[in-house]
Amino acid sequence: MASVSLGGIEKSYGDVAVIHGVDIEIADGEFVALVGPSGCGKSTLLRLIAGLEPITAGEMRIDGERVNEKGAAERGLAMVFQSYALYPHMSVRKNISFGLENQRLPREEIARRVARAASTLRLEDYLERKPRALSGGQRQRVAIGRAIVRDPKVLLFDEPLSNLDAELRVATRREIAALHAEIGGTMIYVTHDQVEAMTLADRIVVLRAGRVEQAGAPLELYNRPANLFVAGFIGSPKMNLLPAKAVAANAAATSLALGGDVLRDLPLAAPGIAAGADVVVGVRPEHVRIVAPGRGDFDGSIAFSERLGAGGFAYVDVEGAPQVTVQEDGQAIRPRGARVGLALAREGLHLFDPAGPALARSAAGA
Amino acid sequence: MAGDRKRGGTGAVADALDGAWTAAMGLTEPPMRALQRAIGAARMPWAFLAPNLAFFGLFVFLPLLIDVWFSLTGGPRLFPSQRPYVGADQYRHLLACGNYLDPSTCDQDRFWRAVRNTAEFTLFQVGAIVVVSLATAIALNRRIVAKGFFRAVFFFPVLLSPVVVALVWKWILQRDGLLNAVLGAAGFGKTLFFVSPGWAMFWAIFVSVWAHMGFYTLILLAGLQAIPADLYEAAEMDRTPPWRAFARITLPLLAPSLLVVAVLALIKAVQIFDEVFVLTGGGPGSATLMVVQYIYETGFSGVVQDFGLAAAASVALGVALFGLTLAQLRLSRGKEGAT
Repeated sequence: MASVSLGGIEKSYGDVAVIHGVDIEIADGEFVALVGPSGCGKSTLLRLIAGLEPITAGEMRIDGERVNEKGAAERGLAMVFQSYALYPHMSVRKNISFGLENQRLPREEIARRVARAASTLRLEDYLERKPRALSGGQRQRVAIGRAIVRDPKVLLFDEPLSNLDAELRVATRREIAALHAEIGGTMIYVTHDQVEAMTLADRIVVLRAGRVEQAGAPLELYNRPANLFVAGFIGSPKMNLLPAKAVAANAAATSLALGGDVLRDLPLAAPGIAAGADVVVGVRPEHVRIVAPGRGDFDGSIAFSERLGAGGFAYVDVEGAPQVTVQEDGQAIRPRGARVGLALAREGLHLFDPAGPALARSAAGA
Repeated sequence: MAGDRKRGGTGAVADALDGAWTAAMGLTEPPMRALQRAIGAARMPWAFLAPNLAFFGLFVFLPLLIDVWFSLTGGPRLFPSQRPYVGADQYRHLLACGNYLDPSTCDQDRFWRAVRNTAEFTLFQVGAIVVVSLATAIALNRRIVAKGFFRAVFFFPVLLSPVVVALVWKWILQRDGLLNAVLGAAGFGKTLFFVSPGWAMFWAIFVSVWAHMGFYTLILLAGLQAIPADLYEAAEMDRTPPWRAFARITLPLLAPSLLVVAVLALIKAVQIFDEVFVLTGGGPGSATLMVVQYIYETGFSGVVQDFGLAAAASVALGVALFGLTLAQLRLSRGKEGAT
């Protein structure tokens, strides 16, 4: 297994630049997820790492060795494709052993490695079948088996769960986590699903429009989003982002006008903000509480609520502000249109410049 | 995605055509209802099939039956009713042979020469078509400049009449033709291509491959494009050398298309006539005489017009083609069962 280092990586197709100078350091044995919305360049970045497409500018190193000029075959990586890309005319056994045969390994060695991969992925009963006689989850496991059997330096995953149904996705996600724990290799995992990234990765790199927005451990991104984009992208349901105006700010506290109300002395240290400046307050659904009308920071009326059994979400219309999502415990049903007060937990507040960057944060989480 | 975009662009026209079609079909409803009342719903399929059956019967089945009848009769008369029944005499005459490997021992030595020529032609022409079309399709499937232009260039001969193709090549290959002029300028002597039996057969095969390969290239190109690109990327990640990717991924996945090409080319090659007839006239001697030319000459252009013998030879050719088609069906079904 190996470390991967991307330095100022750029990629253009003709005049169209899709990756604008990406720097990422991936340590040996680390599980890194590249996440972002469609078109953010995450799959392109993975293909650049794989060597399936040439890099326009920048330098890529694997285990310290420059690989810019090396093709996919020479980099010693393996990839699990979104479509699985199994060879349709070969049995599962052949699919897994094909790469080993290319390396001209002895027959016994190939058989031993295929057997080991098959037992790791519980594929022993399907080895003689053709891919089309397998279910989606089984095909997925064959694709993973084909990748791990070669003991690659780095294992690349391109949205591997996107073709599976919801239940299978959760199960396969767990299997991939177990696989990483078992074989412990460097893995780079592309997904648009921030839940997959949160649950699997040691570190998440959030991409937008070909640039890194933030990189860090999952909870670090959750608790300390560096900007509005990451704040809105990581977490489900999304963080509430409420436009406000600064009333006064100093090194200890900030007062904000939000809708028709003024929230005084919030524990947000943002000394640089001028009175009257536009800001965005971020607060996650679990940091908003429903209280009696007039008793919270501001009032609103219930638009609708969702009960999930162990808890639920209430969506509250607030005058002069976007709808606020509130996470609630218990099974109480909120009648539509009921007036409620909303209290923002002081330890869960984030303050952003409307242009994007985070300005301040109250002391929550890690 | 490309299809969707196309549909978006011509949506209005398609809708208008749809509307017109629906209106026109509405007009056919009253007479169809009346017909169904008259003959009953169960017989309606026959009513729909009748026009096609009438044409097919008149121009295919009826001539086929007349041909079989001619092959069982003798004499020089044209009208079937005036021809005496001779049983299998024509076939006996056609097939009588001392040694089938030596046409000169046969009653109809020209027929057996034609059979041998046609077999030789078919073997090399089909082989060449498969290899050349595959190579061309692979080249055209790559990222090359002016891809559309080259695809058109290779397909263009298919659009030409076989006679035109043969005439053009005849001008190139004849004694004072283009090729000899070029060879002469390069210091070589003139080669009389249509006087040497070997050269004549070579050019007959060459010209027919040139004329038809575009069609088969198209089939193989479609087959190549149906192979998902990510299989090759997976193979690249698997460190597969290009020749091995070709042998282990391209060829197996292209096998159904290759079979279609081989079978279609085979059936067409057995029926070869016009190009070779115009190019070489079957000569020198009978070196490029093909079975269909033999039938044509025996039945229509000889001094004695032997309809009976010609009909027997066509029936024999028909049986051979029927056998080939059956084999093709069995092969393609076997293929489906196996994969």
